[in-house]
Amino acid sequence: MAVLHAWRAARVTPLGELHTPPRITAALLRLTVQVVLVASLWRGLYAHTGSTAGLGRDQAVTYAVLAVLASRLRELDQFTGRDTVIQHMHFGTIVYWYLRPLSPGRYYALRALGEQLYGLAWALVGYAACLAAGVVRPPGSAAVAGVFALSLLLGQWVLYYVMLVLDQLCFWTLRNNAAMMILIFAQNLLSGVYAPLWFFPDWFVTLSAFLPFQATLSVPLSLYIGRIPLSDAAGALALQAAWVLALALFTRFLWRRAALRVISQGG
Amino acid sequence: MSVNAVRIMWRVTRLNFRAQLEYRTEFLMMIAIGAVWQVSVIVFATVLLSRFAGMGGWDSSDVLLIPATRMLAHGLFVLVLGRVHGLGRHIQEGIIDTCLVRPMPVHRQLQLAYFPTNAIGDLTVAAGLMAGAVSRSHLDWTAGRVAYLIAAVLGGMLLEAALFTAVACASLRFPAADYWGRWLEELLGTFGSYPLNVLPRAVGGLLTYGLPLAFVAYFPAAVLTGHGHDTGVPYWPAALSPLLGVVAYLAARLLWRRGLRHYAGVNG
Repeated sequence: MAVLHAWRAARVTPLGELHTPPRITAALLRLTVQVVLVASLWRGLYAHTGSTAGLGRDQAVTYAVLAVLASRLRELDQFTGRDTVIQHMHFGTIVYWYLRPLSPGRYYALRALGEQLYGLAWALVGYAACLAAGVVRPPGSAAVAGVFALSLLLGQWVLYYVMLVLDQLCFWTLRNNAAMMILIFAQNLLSGVYAPLWFFPDWFVTLSAFLPFQATLSVPLSLYIGRIPLSDAAGALALQAAWVLALALFTRFLWRRAALRVISQGG
Repeated sequence: MSVNAVRIMWRVTRLNFRAQLEYRTEFLMMIAIGAVWQVSVIVFATVLLSRFAGMGGWDSSDVLLIPATRMLAHGLFVLVLGRVHGLGRHIQEGIIDTCLVRPMPVHRQLQLAYFPTNAIGDLTVAAGLMAGAVSRSHLDWTAGRVAYLIAAVLGGMLLEAALFTAVACASLRFPAADYWGRWLEELLGTFGSYPLNVLPRAVGGLLTYGLPLAFVAYFPAAVLTGHGHDTGVPYWPAALSPLLGVVAYLAARLLWRRGLRHYAGVNG
């Protein structure tokens, strides 16, 4: 029964998407155009350069295209579904999360799981198409593929907690628009979406090592293209796992503190 | 527009600004986000310029003029006309329906909905980058060049406003069209900051004729820096980019009027 309830909560957002064909068509078109543009840009940039920052043309193109595909993993428009924490704060309906037999933390996690699995389906289809078209290179070996998959899972887990912290912020600040925009910026810059971190100065790479963002994307993609060798993979994976653990404990603490702040209107 | 209308707009804007100050932390963070968002464009451009010298055959000081023009145009758009972006949410919440029964034009009400605090950060960084780009430039900044640069910034602002107004018109009929607005913002931010001739000709053509992104900053910067004949389009259309912004914005406003006449809220 618990599994059935979990399944029902997890499929809410994907079902919303599947019942809106124009949104799916738009997502498909957007993903296709973005992949073509990004691949063209990096090929163009490498037109007169053999290798820079230890990355060759194929590695850079593969990295950039995979970063675009990975960004699909958490890109659903939850706002349209009116089920974001900030909307519930705005409309005063967050209290209902606390009246259900399902705890708010579990409900949030199940919704996010459904979204990320739906996003993963998109990313996998896109990856298969890019691989068939020769836009991205396959992983160097089966071991690299396995380590990459594990690292991507941990990276998405870290990203989930980072997004959760931002949503939990609403319990104290009521609004999180600015914080969310700063987070998206930091996520894109420090996880290597704008450009692989290897291109940035050493001080920037060192600074980003102390933050959780590079664990979300830069580490798995660097493993995939071979910029982090398999011999160093254990350390990278351990760091990702440490972020998962630390953020899990922190968000658990925040859920407990947040519950103390929720009151229904009228006392 | 009458003097009274301008006075009302000024008073509403002042009130909106004070309303933004109600949440001080959010206010300061919104300024910060405007700034850091633009800084990210600078970081990206700087990293690419340092790693890939001679981008598209352009000198790095010439390349900087592209993001500077685009960012300044974008900052002005956010400050003056940016509230058309994200109209789908207003429609979903029924705010447009309320605007329809008030005496002020709906478009103006929309622009006066709130004060765009992030524009302060946007414009601060954009002005700084423009000052840096102009000072590093080897060009002789004659009155004609300065006037063209100003026209280019204003034209870029109007062109961006025209694109977002067109998306807003679509939102009046299909609120989910808001999705396209976010994509448009992403495309302008990502591909509007460097020479498009670094891309394959077909892709560059798409960003010129499919989505007129090249006219926002790339063509004006090319004309100013002497690359106007190497853009892949005839020189004069590229040189007349600021004018295209004016024409496109007027057309978008006509489209808006038409869209609003046919707007049907949830209750028909």
